[in-house]
Amino acid sequence: MNTLTRNLRVLRRMTAAEIAQQSIYRGSWVIFMLANIFVPVTSLLIWRTALAHGARLPVDERYVTTYFVLLGFVTMATSSWAAGFIASDIRLGTLSSWMVRPASLLLGFVANNLSEKLLKLIALVPMIGIVWWLFRESMVVPAGFGRWALFAVAVLLGAVLVFTIDILIAALAFWLDDVSALVQARVIIASVLSGAVVPLALMPSWSRGFVEFQPFRFTVSFPVEIVAGRLSGAELLLGFGLQLGYVVLAGVLARVVWAAGLRAYSAVGA
Amino acid sequence: MRYLRLWRRFFAQAVVRETHYRAHFLTTLGVGLVQLGLGIVPTLLLFGFTSELHGWSRAEVIALVGVYQIVTGLMAAFVAPNLNRMTSYLTEGELDAVLLRPVSSQFYLTFRWINVAELTNVASGVAVLVIGLLQADVRADAGQIVQAVLLAGCGLVLLTAVWSALAYLAFWLQSVGPIGIVYTSLAEAGRYPLAFFPTAVRTFLTFAFPVAFATTYPVQALTGDLSWRYVALAATLTLLALLLTRLLWSRGLRTYASASS
Repeated sequence: MNTLTRNLRVLRRMTAAEIAQQSIYRGSWVIFMLANIFVPVTSLLIWRTALAHGARLPVDERYVTTYFVLLGFVTMATSSWAAGFIASDIRLGTLSSWMVRPASLLLGFVANNLSEKLLKLIALVPMIGIVWWLFRESMVVPAGFGRWALFAVAVLLGAVLVFTIDILIAALAFWLDDVSALVQARVIIASVLSGAVVPLALMPSWSRGFVEFQPFRFTVSFPVEIVAGRLSGAELLLGFGLQLGYVVLAGVLARVVWAAGLRAYSAVGA
Repeated sequence: MRYLRLWRRFFAQAVVRETHYRAHFLTTLGVGLVQLGLGIVPTLLLFGFTSELHGWSRAEVIALVGVYQIVTGLMAAFVAPNLNRMTSYLTEGELDAVLLRPVSSQFYLTFRWINVAELTNVASGVAVLVIGLLQADVRADAGQIVQAVLLAGCGLVLLTAVWSALAYLAFWLQSVGPIGIVYTSLAEAGRYPLAFFPTAVRTFLTFAFPVAFATTYPVQALTGDLSWRYVALAATLTLLALLLTRLLWSRGLRTYASASS
């Protein structure tokens, strides 16, 4: 327990330091988040046009609108960009300076993730608010606190899942020199399978079973579905069960691969 | 003329450099193909639910995706490697060295670096365009092709001008690192016909962020008969955009205080 509290204290300090450092570039965070919102809004307009012109979609206008308005927030909140940086630390040997510190090696990357997300949130939430207001007529707003609480839990678990997968890929850099192609592959595959490009509900019916059970659904689509869709109690339970299962699985895998990697680490430049 | 010769040198140098990094070439090719496939996914899914949307058939939209791929490939090859450096030009003071050169610094800043590998995306875009046109059973005559090429050319210059203007904001904001991402995500709208958007957005995509001239109008010129008035409009807007960018550049340059000396 003692180690945990100490790690948490270190994490809090490091996050605060990162926030102070990153807020120098607050202008560029706003620009960055602007980019984050354009693509979902484009998709939203296209699918609404299709619906307005009689395309028979398996979901209605309210689902599509709510889905794409929340999408920008969820993709940002669950994103992780650590793999490239960890891999370059491993390749250049700068990882060594982290290894001698009296706290977990990965805390720095967790702190970076949390602090950047906090700053992005400040820029992104007002923009989402404006888009929400523009389309307020067709937004699904679940009554009561329950759904939103579930949404928050699902986003949190999704963020942990993406971060863990990212660490897993980064850990491969202990053996491979360059993981940038793997990172790029993860991003491209995830963008389709997570529902970030097209809602998974619009995927062709032959892919349904696979799409619903694969891990990437739980990084983006599942939290949004909780608010936008009408997931039944049983579906919710199954969803959270699967999400938790994937988090544990990815966690164990990452832990094993990372530990094996550290033993193989040769500390270039030391 | 001198600039053309100079640019040919830049290009030759970029080709030589590319041959040193063959893996980069292959990765760019692979990623480009996957992205192209991914770009068609929404279109294919969309037309799984309807056969025709606002007068556009599936084949015509596939042709449009091809044009979009060509345009993004050209921009990524010739313009992006330069404008993405804008922040470092200013904050590292590299601009000093550029200003001293006996060429137009705006030309040098916009065209110095070329990413040859991105040209593979232009090739795949041409393939998709041809497939789309064949599927749509389009037989374009010479006049239509000239129209399409002129419109796409104006579209490219317009996009370059808008992106340059965004990048020149660095003179006042210091850091415009993510501006390239903003440009790319706005340009994503060019994947779809202009007609798919509400009127306000159409106006924006024609006059403010004129991606429509680079993708929608050229395809319309090929598949139907588009009035020459659109070509005239594109040319006028291009001229205007060039003038405004030039003006912004000289205004920005006056605020530049040099970072290195």
